[in-house]
Amino acid sequence: MFYWIYDIPSPKLALLLAVGFALISWLGTIFVRPILRLFVRRRHDVNDIVGYILSCFGVFYGLLLGLLAVASYQNFENVEGIVADEAASLSALVRDVTAYPEPERQNLLWLLRDYTRYVVKDAWPLQRRGIVPEGGNVRMVAFHERLLKFEPKTAGQEIIHAEALGQFNKYLEARRKRLFSVTTSIPAAMWYVVLVGAVMNIALVWLFDMRLVSHLFLGGLLSAFMGMMIFLIASLDNPFRGELSISSEPFQAILEQLMEE
Amino acid sequence: MVMEFILYRRLSRWLVCAAVLAMVSLAGCDQLDPMWKDHLGLVDKPVPIRVGILHSETGTMSISETPLRDTELMAIAEINAAGGVLGRPIEPIVKDGRSRDDLFVKRARSLLEDYGLQTVFGCWTSSSRKAVTPLFEQEDALLFYPLQYEGNEASKNLFYFGSTPNQQILPAIDWFLSDAGGNRKKIYLVGSDYIYPRTAHYIVRKYLEGKEMEVVGESFAPLGSRDFGAIVSQILISKADLVLSTINGDSNVDFYQQFHQLAIQAGIDSDKLPIVATSVGENELRSLLPELVQGHYVAASYFQSVDSSINRRFVQAFKKEYGEDRVTDDPMDAAYVQVYLWKAAVEAAGSTDPQKIREALEKTIEFDGPGGKVRIDPRNHHFYKKFRLGRINGNRQFDIVHESPELIQPEPFPSFAFPGWECDWTKDGLKKGDPVSLDP
Repeated sequence: MFYWIYDIPSPKLALLLAVGFALISWLGTIFVRPILRLFVRRRHDVNDIVGYILSCFGVFYGLLLGLLAVASYQNFENVEGIVADEAASLSALVRDVTAYPEPERQNLLWLLRDYTRYVVKDAWPLQRRGIVPEGGNVRMVAFHERLLKFEPKTAGQEIIHAEALGQFNKYLEARRKRLFSVTTSIPAAMWYVVLVGAVMNIALVWLFDMRLVSHLFLGGLLSAFMGMMIFLIASLDNPFRGELSISSEPFQAILEQLMEE
Repeated sequence: MVMEFILYRRLSRWLVCAAVLAMVSLAGCDQLDPMWKDHLGLVDKPVPIRVGILHSETGTMSISETPLRDTELMAIAEINAAGGVLGRPIEPIVKDGRSRDDLFVKRARSLLEDYGLQTVFGCWTSSSRKAVTPLFEQEDALLFYPLQYEGNEASKNLFYFGSTPNQQILPAIDWFLSDAGGNRKKIYLVGSDYIYPRTAHYIVRKYLEGKEMEVVGESFAPLGSRDFGAIVSQILISKADLVLSTINGDSNVDFYQQFHQLAIQAGIDSDKLPIVATSVGENELRSLLPELVQGHYVAASYFQSVDSSINRRFVQAFKKEYGEDRVTDDPMDAAYVQVYLWKAAVEAAGSTDPQKIREALEKTIEFDGPGGKVRIDPRNHHFYKKFRLGRINGNRQFDIVHESPELIQPEPFPSFAFPGWECDWTKDGLKKGDPVSLDP
């Protein structure tokens, strides 16, 4: 839901959400407040009652936002770790392959380069759009086929070959984990609760009885902060999307190394 | 109370007016960030033109076919960087035929039916091409085929960018018959067991009738075969002084290895018994040690060593994109050229409609490619091409020992091999002659 927000640069998105929420608060204060004030019939203790309800509501809503922010950050960090592990595993595989005799060495390195190039240039942009890239699979199969065709002729080559096959399997596991993380995100139902909660929070502020300017200022401030919190959660959610996302830098470093091999 | 209400009403009006003004100015603002315009629906992104790329990315043919995929993707990226076609970017849909004809059919069907594509660049083996051709005819889509092949085929839905035997194999044989080629007299034919090698060998046998060269033997090995010991022994026993190899895919690696080993044992070198191959290029040579292949020959239209500024740019661009140790070869040249010719045809036609592209291509569009100028023969959808014979050097590159002075006209149905067969899509189309048996 709302995936278009990931196409907006982070500072602009933060501003958009903060201003957007403040605007909702202001518009409500101007247009809805008179109606709501009729509803509470200008009771002298209305601010106390609304303040009490708002603080109760704020505890639950604050908890929800706080926990979501922590969960999103942890998920982001976790996926970042998966990508780092995958890159490290690929780097180790590259090292193993450089020990093969020619011409197998060159062919295997070429296939790894083809794969890494795909990850950097094609797979990452697809992941940024929330699409699980499929092109890496055929490149991995091609590499595996070529690896299996190698017949070791010395005991040393046998050890290297066994090590490379083992490393290849480790790499496949790491790669699979990354692909599974491409679509990981906060469930849509939770987002609906967050957004409805935000609107309810703002609506409660509309019930306060105070001077218009003060109302606009305090309501706008609270709403803008909620917008910023939602920006933070949205940015960390979907770890491969948006400006604040996991970069392909570890793979770029390997690609540069492979281009020079 | 009354004052507050009046103030409130005034403020509301001002805010509404301000909001309306802001929206109007936002919509009319030229300085607005294009990305924001996108989100506001103010800019229409050009719809990409989708084309298919269908090669074997895995399996026995992947050694040869993945460079074609890379070349086609590079050509598409170049075109997109220069503004696309008709102002629209090209979006390639890549599928893996996995070196299996049945999967080529499945993938081609998916490209044509599921994706609704009208143009596909693809195939290598003749068996895969023949397997998918009926689909392209049925859907009236276009297949651009970049490989040298055996001829004996014509389809209105195919454009054949590779050489036909009269542009590749027969000029090579003529050269080996000449003084420069050593006046060879005995030729052994060896190939993978499928349509291309069988038809090519048939054409060679027919061509040599009445010439001073005798076919002393012929062998076929299954596609993907790795055991060539028996075949190489037969070659050596036959006392041939020239081997024509139409072996395809990574079988070439095993063939050259075993040939070298047994020939050395028999005291025969590449001067005495050279192999002239038709489906080996710089890419296949990467899998072979130089000492196994040095001195043997390859017949083609393009080599990486072609000395021209266009080729230097092409090689440089490819190496920059895919790595300094990558090489370019004949089918890659054709694969590159076919994407640009398709672009030229779409622009000339002003449409991606297959019928209009076909008509545009039939109006003799020329293109200066890495291997030199190419020109379509509108009668049969093949291309006028140069012939070059390369001798493999110690760097697994080619020293060009012979080059045809002019472009050679394609003959998919050489009259000595296929009497009565003709193709002219500008007139009556395909005229069938007598049935031909490929067996000796």
